Amino acid sequence: MIKAGQIDKGTALLVKGQPFIVVEREFVNPGKGSAFVRVRLKSPATGQMLRETYKTQDNVEDITVDDRDCQYLYNDGDNFHFMLTETFEQIEIPMSSFEDYQFIMKEGETFRVTFWEHQPLDIQIPTKVIFEVAEAEEAIKGDTVTGATKNVTTDTGLVVRVPIFIKQGERILVNTETKEYIERVNK
Amino acid sequence: MNIKAIEQRSELLRAMRNWFAQEGYLEVSTPIISTNLIPEPTIANFATHYISEFYASRELYLIPSPEIHMKPIIAATKRSIYQIIPCFRNREQIGSYHNPEFSMLEYYTVGADDTDSIAITEELIAKTALENTPEHLLPPFRKMSVAEACHRYGEFDLDKTQSIAALRREAKRLGLDVPAAAESWESVFNRIFLNFVEPNLPQEKPLILYDYPQQIVCLAKKHRDRPYRQRWELYAGGIELANCYNEERDKNIVKNYYRDQYAILVTERAQTGEVIPDVDLSFADIFDEEFPQCSGVALGIDRLLMLQGGYKTIGDLILFNFSAIIADGM
Repeated sequence: MIKAGQIDKGTALLVKGQPFIVVEREFVNPGKGSAFVRVRLKSPATGQMLRETYKTQDNVEDITVDDRDCQYLYNDGDNFHFMLTETFEQIEIPMSSFEDYQFIMKEGETFRVTFWEHQPLDIQIPTKVIFEVAEAEEAIKGDTVTGATKNVTTDTGLVVRVPIFIKQGERILVNTETKEYIERVNK
Repeated sequence: MNIKAIEQRSELLRAMRNWFAQEGYLEVSTPIISTNLIPEPTIANFATHYISEFYASRELYLIPSPEIHMKPIIAATKRSIYQIIPCFRNREQIGSYHNPEFSMLEYYTVGADDTDSIAITEELIAKTALENTPEHLLPPFRKMSVAEACHRYGEFDLDKTQSIAALRREAKRLGLDVPAAAESWESVFNRIFLNFVEPNLPQEKPLILYDYPQQIVCLAKKHRDRPYRQRWELYAGGIELANCYNEERDKNIVKNYYRDQYAILVTERAQTGEVIPDVDLSFADIFDEEFPQCSGVALGIDRLLMLQGGYKTIGDLILFNFSAIIADGM
């Protein structure tokens, strides 16, 4: 048991017998009231989203999870296939629970996956990831308006809005939560 | 550093000052450090220490709201007043809409009640809004009583759930886990309100949610004929933006509020070890026969700027905000 005030993004909780991962957490103080915490939870098994509001002093049932290194192999349209790097055991994670992750994870790369009793609950994606630009439109000559942008596609298939000076083959840093361009990576 | 946000704040505050001047409000400046506070058990306080070689050194407190200093000015001047001032709430979590230090606009209108303050606030927002403020954040405001909101989104009759037992039954019917331990009516109400009512409030226009349950104790007057207080909250874009009271002027009610709330505050904080501020019961003495009828509104400037400027969090526009300071320090 933990206090609801201790809940953070990524905390694993047992709600009505089902494991959920906290994907959003916001504190609310109703006018003149004591502190509450509002969370959005996701069931990794079904993709179901849940909204709960607790008093920060409420007890909630947290579950002990462990993180293991898993290599992302490929996806078959329904499931992501991973291999546990320690045991070489292969696992499947439903793609529907992790929207757009196929555009963020590169095949062959290793990610931390959160497990609860052998059940994968969460794939941990760094907030900032470097991608290579696979396709980019050529900037139109003479178009020097500041703030002008265009779409590029990364080597993983993610479409990102970038400044017009970004060229094919260059590397860019992207916020994986908002899918927004941060900066060009020179080295 | 967000230079645009700095400019927008300057623009908004200038427009507000012009509007208040035009409407005949007096701008006042009161301290942020105080020897005593109004007892509010749910607001944790910041304390600091005054060191003196000549007087007794003592603990002082950062204000959670300027009310304690503004009401004596109303008593002395009998005029409508306002100010824009930093306020401090400890233990406040750092999130999208919270920072332990924030900027508050507080205005008191003499001769007005909470209903009048709705029109005043509509006018203020309409006349001072930043350019390109989205329509759904601009007046006219929609109005709904708390009881109506409970009926609509929680499907229960607030008039008939005045007892804790009745309210717990509704909470249970809605599927909430309310701890078996004794819990106040207010606390159970907030569970229901935050889970079922607030998330469903309409957002197409700013919303005035009015007539709060009398069990939520504050310095807003009670209605004579129904179990509610003359108080409203303004929601815009789904978040709480302002709070208004038809201010209590009965000296004895204010004194009792002080005694009861301070007792609760001391009991709770003695257990947690949190700051227990001094209070001064003589505050109630300003409410003599001469103290004018007035309505007070407190509005969060940072949240208003966030909404009007199209920012996602108040951290995007509060310079040197807590999350930046704390992250740097780690």
